[in-house]
Amino acid sequence: MKSYRLHQTWSRVWMKTIFILVSVIVVFPFIIMVLTALKSNQEISQGLSAFFPETPLFSNFVTAMQKGNWGRYFINTIMITGFAVIISLVINSLAGYAFARMRFAGKTILFYCAMVGMMLPMQVIMIPVFLQIKELPLVGGNDFFGNGGIGLVNNYAGVILPLIAHPFGVFLCRQFFMGFPKELDEAAKIDGCSPLQIYLKLYIPMGIPIFATLGLLKFVDTWNQYTWPLLVFNDPEMNTVQLALNAFKGENVTEWNYLMAATIVIILPILVLFVCLQRYFVQGIATTGMKD
Amino acid sequence: MKRKLKLGSLGYDKVAYLFILPFFLIFTYFYFIPAFQVILDSFTDYDLFTTRNYIGLENYRSLLEDDKFLQSMINTFIYTIFTLIPTLVLGLLIAALANSTLIKTKICRTLIFMPHVVSMVAVSMIWIFLYDSTNGIFNAILQLFGLPKSDFLMDPNLALPCLIIMGIWKGIGYNMVIFLSGLKSIPEHYYEAAKLDGSSAVNTFFKITLPLLSPTTSFLLITGLIGSFNVFEQVNIMTNGGPLYRTTTIVHQIYINGFSQYKLGYASAMSVVLLIIIIIITVINFKLTQEKGA
Repeated sequence: MKSYRLHQTWSRVWMKTIFILVSVIVVFPFIIMVLTALKSNQEISQGLSAFFPETPLFSNFVTAMQKGNWGRYFINTIMITGFAVIISLVINSLAGYAFARMRFAGKTILFYCAMVGMMLPMQVIMIPVFLQIKELPLVGGNDFFGNGGIGLVNNYAGVILPLIAHPFGVFLCRQFFMGFPKELDEAAKIDGCSPLQIYLKLYIPMGIPIFATLGLLKFVDTWNQYTWPLLVFNDPEMNTVQLALNAFKGENVTEWNYLMAATIVIILPILVLFVCLQRYFVQGIATTGMKD
Repeated sequence: MKRKLKLGSLGYDKVAYLFILPFFLIFTYFYFIPAFQVILDSFTDYDLFTTRNYIGLENYRSLLEDDKFLQSMINTFIYTIFTLIPTLVLGLLIAALANSTLIKTKICRTLIFMPHVVSMVAVSMIWIFLYDSTNGIFNAILQLFGLPKSDFLMDPNLALPCLIIMGIWKGIGYNMVIFLSGLKSIPEHYYEAAKLDGSSAVNTFFKITLPLLSPTTSFLLITGLIGSFNVFEQVNIMTNGGPLYRTTTIVHQIYINGFSQYKLGYASAMSVVLLIIIIIITVINFKLTQEKGA
């Protein structure tokens, strides 16, 4: 018995050491990022002999944010992310509700169509989707056939629209709603509620957990978007924070402290969300098993 | 009254179409139509400014002679294999450690998962600095051991491995979380039975854990395969496909051909090749899981 205990203590120490070591290795790049953001240019060029900044230069953050129109970039990103989260929750949960609770012709076929779409990566269809954005009829100077103008190019909607129809969101809402007792619907029907009222008064309040998970995932996904804004925006004024950070690298090649400071600023909202809502995050990702 | 209700619930709700309309409008416009459009465009010489001309299989014939595209296929395959396998193996090992009731792992798990939620742009900035030839930490460490400095991202032989290492680093946390939820779903009494039979920890892992985890593994494998085949962002940000096209990938070639050279028809043909690869992966995976189920 004693030797077993000793054995257990030893394996505990080993496991703990390995686990801490792995986490330190994973976090190491972030540590370097923070330290570099607080250093002077001279300290950075000294390498390991100046691993920690002598006096942390918090002014680097101010300087970094003054290089470029960051206020505008943040507004662009917040607008895109906010609209994408809200609209995607509304349209995907409406469809999920219909698939979970209503009967209509073609239901199975339509559902499978949407699910097959889930397997299709956006990168494969980025060219035709870009053309759909550019050739959307009657906007951005386009005529009825989508010719003549720029459509939604350089428009928030050009980034938001391709991101909001989310087959996996429909699937998840459907699964969640199917778990609700059917008697609730029946009771509400007898009380004279229309399907829309049932959805608004019963399903939305009871679906909060699934909306929180989906909203969180969509928020992170949209905030971190690089490819769509890159394709849709060619006006620097429309830059999202991600595009702006990449442009910042190009304009301030060797000023690593400012680049790292800017990097910290743009990942901070996500990290704060992550730390505060960690449980939902991990739950959401584990139960959905999907990133976006 | 009762009868009417019953009939109502058996009949069709026409209003359902209004509920699914917003989703399907967007879905059709941004997924369904493009999926066919990309195939049609791959047979044309469309260049964004003039009208499309049908040119048959000309684009596909050119693809076979396009060294950059062939190189991008090779790079993408290398990236996929060398990123995916280590990520899966390490993710599983760390998950197995984290699943042990012996140690508390909450904070460490948070830290390991962190790279997954940070954007690819931000992560690329950090790693560009780590790999930097003059001030980067990797070169500082090399110097510490008296080794010569290296031009990591500029070195044709090192650039792709550099991207692979970053890819593994970013992917481990996600794999850990998914594996962990898979491990947690294995009933405890399997392990108790194995213990009673005197099975060693290693034996238990290969005979019980791994087989029972196969749905999780195949899920991570297929999503990982599809994700790696679509690798683009870090390539465009960190190396722009260079040096000497040694890091260019299929999606990067699609982007370059489509959006900087406006050869949209040609880039569509590349997209179709990628689409076919992804369909093959999906079908193989589907067949394999079906066989297992039978």
